[in-house]
Amino acid sequence: MTDDREGRVRAMVDRAASRMLDATVLERIGIAIASTLLALLIGLGIVAAAGHNPFRFAYQLIVGSFGSERAVARTLRYSVLFVLAGVAVAVAFRAGVFNIGVQGQFVVGGFATVVTIVRVAPHLPNGTGSGIVLMLIGTIAAIVAGGLYAALPGVLKAYSGANEIITTIMLNFIAIGAVGWLVAGRFGDPEATATRTERLPEHVELPSVVFDDPNLSIVGILLTVAVVVLVAAVMARTSFGYDMVTSGYQETAATYSGVDARRMIVSTMTLSGMVAGLGGAVFAIMIQGYFTDPSGIGNYGFDAIAVSLLAANNPVGVVPAGLLFGGLESAGSHIQINSDVPVQLIDGIVGLVVLFVAVPELFRIVARRTGLGGDDE
Amino acid sequence: MTGSNTPPAVRLEGITKRFGDVVANDDVDFTLERGTIHALLGENGSGKTTLMSVLYGLYDQDAGRIRVEGEPRTFESPRDAMGAGIGMIHQHFKLVEPMTVLQNIVLGHEPTENGMVDESDARADIEEICSRYGFDVDQYLDTPVEELDLSAQQRVEIVKSLYRGAEVLILDEPTAVLTPQEVESLMDVMNDLRADGRSLIFISHKLDEALTIADEITVLRDGKAIGTVRADETSEQDLARMMVGREVLFDRLSRETTPGDPVLEVEGLRMRGDRGRERVSGVDLTVREGEILGIAGVQGNGQGELVEGITGLRSVAEGTIRLHGDDITDTSRRQRIEDGIAYVPEDRQRDGLVQEYSLVRNALLGNQTIEPYANGGILDWDAVAAHAAEIVDEFDVQPADPEVDAKSLSGGNQQKFIVGREIGHDPDVMIASHPTRGVDVGSIEFIHNRLIELRDEGLAIAVVSSKLEEIRKLADRIAVMYEGEFIDIVDPEAVDEEDLGLLMAGHSLEESDASETDRGVQA
Repeated sequence: MTDDREGRVRAMVDRAASRMLDATVLERIGIAIASTLLALLIGLGIVAAAGHNPFRFAYQLIVGSFGSERAVARTLRYSVLFVLAGVAVAVAFRAGVFNIGVQGQFVVGGFATVVTIVRVAPHLPNGTGSGIVLMLIGTIAAIVAGGLYAALPGVLKAYSGANEIITTIMLNFIAIGAVGWLVAGRFGDPEATATRTERLPEHVELPSVVFDDPNLSIVGILLTVAVVVLVAAVMARTSFGYDMVTSGYQETAATYSGVDARRMIVSTMTLSGMVAGLGGAVFAIMIQGYFTDPSGIGNYGFDAIAVSLLAANNPVGVVPAGLLFGGLESAGSHIQINSDVPVQLIDGIVGLVVLFVAVPELFRIVARRTGLGGDDE
Repeated sequence: MTGSNTPPAVRLEGITKRFGDVVANDDVDFTLERGTIHALLGENGSGKTTLMSVLYGLYDQDAGRIRVEGEPRTFESPRDAMGAGIGMIHQHFKLVEPMTVLQNIVLGHEPTENGMVDESDARADIEEICSRYGFDVDQYLDTPVEELDLSAQQRVEIVKSLYRGAEVLILDEPTAVLTPQEVESLMDVMNDLRADGRSLIFISHKLDEALTIADEITVLRDGKAIGTVRADETSEQDLARMMVGREVLFDRLSRETTPGDPVLEVEGLRMRGDRGRERVSGVDLTVREGEILGIAGVQGNGQGELVEGITGLRSVAEGTIRLHGDDITDTSRRQRIEDGIAYVPEDRQRDGLVQEYSLVRNALLGNQTIEPYANGGILDWDAVAAHAAEIVDEFDVQPADPEVDAKSLSGGNQQKFIVGREIGHDPDVMIASHPTRGVDVGSIEFIHNRLIELRDEGLAIAVVSSKLEEIRKLADRIAVMYEGEFIDIVDPEAVDEEDLGLLMAGHSLEESDASETDRGVQA
């Protein structure tokens, strides 16, 4: 009787899933740290096997991520993007909606910022005051654009059942392709050698204040912290957040409690896309100062999925997870310049960390979704 | 029936089974004599199913021995158990719905010839089994299982076990899904099987059924075997005391209040089911202050859709719903919660509680927009925590810790918590759907008493149930639902269970007035 054999296998998987589901927060943090160290250790083994000096590599990893003020600034700069994109992913995942389209929403948001500022700037006088106004308008444009771009797959899922994983992935390609085409054509800067938009005006510039790094501003860091706190507070302390998180845990119970499941999917996607768009605005204003072909800007929105999983989709947990990813990214660019270790190897090691750290969380989510684990007796 | 020289069909000695820190079976002895029916009685969570899963090879015991026909046996899997002649009919049938009855019966045991499935022998064998026990299954052999009703599916399961040569049959709560008439015919089948020398284990928490059919009854409580008694030497009161550990009252509760003004009025309600088929076909009903309207019926006759229509979970195809005279037909679920429609859902684990949430977080479920728990969209967790503690205290929820996850509570305690939460925000009307399904005897009594108290305090209540004794005990009026309509509205004093059973099966009562037997009665 095959169904009984399946029953036994299921019972076995169930026990394993139970173990993982029941891990406490402390255990999870322990698992995350151990996984990171183990992944780095294996990475060093690979570095050695490839004929490079693993000790030198480890040393540069540390120096490159937080060994100097410059390294710290660089780490923070990347971390800001990973945290914002990570929060965007976490919002959706917590509500049980798989927004894989954060990269696309990030790109659309960043592009909207640059286009808006460049178009509005000529109508305002030069000066710090109008610079602030322009940055505010640009950021709002990014939030609106990111939100709308995410609302679209939300509506498709809610009202016609289109799988959001597939639609958001497709919309990533569309965003990258369309923005790339616009940057190269209609919105391109004909005087620039690279494919990019016009530069933002001089007065549209965030102050660095703490770090003497033109691409990192205390405003960006504070904004990120504010977003984390705000999203965490919405989730934990508002009716809307309770609706959202409950939908993620158990949609049927959420419906019972008066949540309109369709509207919740659209709201969740919109909120997620708004945060992603904000990330794009920070990227455009704080880091680039213009917008380049999005196929070459870095996979913040994709890596954010790993960041969010590592943080168990907790917006506060996204901060340390984002710092880890920011540190690795920062060390990667340092090592690339200062050693002969090929960049692919560095990416591979980052990949190992993702694999080791994020996969247990992924299993946990799958286990919860399929109803495995937990006690049924 | 059994001589001292024949070993018992099954003997379990000192079975202990732990799940983590929970002891599901604690040193349980159990003996099934050959050619007898032995009832295994206990509340939900008392360890009945665990014990039988050990016997059936689904779980390994931590201690103790299994003997079959006197021989010590260890079962690694149900396949081993079946090899030793033990079959189990699970509470939730393990049938492949799109496959035919015949395919289901031979599944995993397909007779083959030259590597090809040869059904002709199997067909003959199955027909032989059917004629021996008077099963009607043979006429459905080529029908997909999903087209059969639950009682026919159950007979398919029994035939399947017999086809594999089961001498010992374990029936896990087999009557839970059946009408009274179907229960009777199941009892006949069980009698025939016993007469044929087979040995049956009947798992139940229904005292009367155990007394009717069983030779011996073993009562489990908290994983321990409390005792084994002969069915002809015991009574419902004794068994209930063994199950619960104290006296339980069974009498109908008095009703002395008179109902007041109508609170909930439904007119000409039509609803569609998930597959677009009409499931509610013109129902009229009124629930008044201080009365309990019982809605009886075999599961799947549209009660679920009716309740979803009233509570705002499913949109109405036609008809009107009024609360205190205001038309609420098109309002949202949330609006209806805020308007004071409380709902104890049929499936508490799926709908009524978030399993992974603590009781505190669950206390907010449905209340997330209601003061004092929420104010302008901002939650007040202190107020919610106080509410949770109040429910736990007032409804005797065990464990009495609002911080534990809902999933760690037994069915009865989960249900008490839900009832407590739903009456917490002072509703005007309460819809309770199968409020005591899968709930232990002690909690049933508690929930029933609370519902009666609420009625006496003036709450308008509608109880949907397929349990006749529950409907008869609680309801001031009983509406019987059959195929989407109220086939009749009766006074619980004026009908017996037999009458109700007939109504539930779609027969009108011959002795009642012609006008009342018309379809679409006003409740």
